[in-house]
Amino acid sequence: MEGKNISTHPDIPGEETHTGTALVETATAAIQGFGPINKIHQHLCAFHFYGHDMTRQVEAHHFCAHQNDEMRQCLIYDSPEKDARLIGLEYIVSENLFMTLPDEEKRMWHSHEYEVKSGVLFMPGIPGPIQRQDLDKVAKTYGKVFHFWQVDKGDDLPLGIPQVMMALTRDGQLYNNLKQDVETRFHVCFDSESENRKSMTGPVHGIHPMANAGGKGIKTVLRETDCEPVDSVPRVFV
Amino acid sequence: MASSDKTPDQMPPGDGSLPPGKGMTITQSMVDKGAEMMQSFKPIKQMSQHVCSFACYSHDMSRQIETHHYVSRLNNDFLQCAVYDSDHPNARLIGVEYIISGRILETLLPEEQKLWHSHAHEITSGLWTNPRVPEMINSGELQDLVNTYGKFWCTWQTDRGDRLPLGAPALMMSPQEAELGIIKIDLLKNRDDKYRMSTDALKKSRASLKMPESMNRMADYWKHAGKGFAIDIKEAQIKTTAPFP
Repeated sequence: MEGKNISTHPDIPGEETHTGTALVETATAAIQGFGPINKIHQHLCAFHFYGHDMTRQVEAHHFCAHQNDEMRQCLIYDSPEKDARLIGLEYIVSENLFMTLPDEEKRMWHSHEYEVKSGVLFMPGIPGPIQRQDLDKVAKTYGKVFHFWQVDKGDDLPLGIPQVMMALTRDGQLYNNLKQDVETRFHVCFDSESENRKSMTGPVHGIHPMANAGGKGIKTVLRETDCEPVDSVPRVFV
Repeated sequence: MASSDKTPDQMPPGDGSLPPGKGMTITQSMVDKGAEMMQSFKPIKQMSQHVCSFACYSHDMSRQIETHHYVSRLNNDFLQCAVYDSDHPNARLIGVEYIISGRILETLLPEEQKLWHSHAHEITSGLWTNPRVPEMINSGELQDLVNTYGKFWCTWQTDRGDRLPLGAPALMMSPQEAELGIIKIDLLKNRDDKYRMSTDALKKSRASLKMPESMNRMADYWKHAGKGFAIDIKEAQIKTTAPFP
């Protein structure tokens, strides 16, 4: 079976950026403070699949910042290039924090042990020994991912509703052509790297049975609701 | 489980820190710093502006939040934003917003258009601002942004006290002139005081901005239909390529 390679992607509809606009935006970038953005310090590459459809697999470039030693928040792009599309986000928590989540919440989170140990999750550009220092920790964490833009379907805009995504949990799930494509483009070899990660271990208490949607499929559904009535509090008419 | 659930099942315990968790060790920080220098962050470097504004939960417009968007432009009609709950280094990533021009929105199906909100009021009223950027730099671009629409999913409801990102993503809507969309005084004042600015003064300085000739008929769905949206998380039959998990 083959996966669809999305590294060459269709254009987003719209005109090219006007010069005047580009100039204004260069100016604003120089003046403003980018606090939370400056904390993004790490680029990780991995694969996600849709929570209800493992046959749809997406290369996911994570740009991550630590909130503290036990929690990270990541922006997910479809490539590491400057025209990359922001397709989703991921939160990563330590095993300790994961265990404090309500059971129903745990279903939306996935384990990282297999991705790390198999070599599939890696940090482009970073030598093996340095990567492994951090990945040793990542192997014990859990992640929660939503994608908002179904680029693998060929959507040229972020249409539809957020999708809960899952991560690889065993051999045989990842399409060979997607694996080979990433290995070629980033000059890595998952299998060799996996040899170097043999001693890494996953969560201390084992992978929680509710994680990875408890082994079932998981999906999102849109529902119309009433808008709640507003409190009678005086407001400024702006 | 749904994005419109009143409160999460159970709040994670801890020492009260937000989010909970141990602080970074110096070793970890140093390893990270070293690694950081070896990687390029091209998509992140594309972020060219910080916008501070406000948004309301579509399923409960009385819940309003201050938002901090870090915006990249992909072409003249499309922007993508990482949204945080403040501009501090420790701000929490609370969602993603996509912004498209009115003419692109018109090409989408009505069912899709319902999920988008207009920006005309938000900008002309001064609610949307680029902190610390003199207004003069902005005015040409602001006119283009007046005729855009946004689609904003919030994945961490920090305003209700969630100490970790719980539940399903919530669809957000923009401030509007109509009753439910009016931003609360104290929220606005808080923002203005923090940046030593006046939303009202900004509004006056934007008086010459032209409103769009027409507004998309399905966007700002709550205004036409009195309805919001919620996302439910449901079990499903999963298609697999190999056993799972």
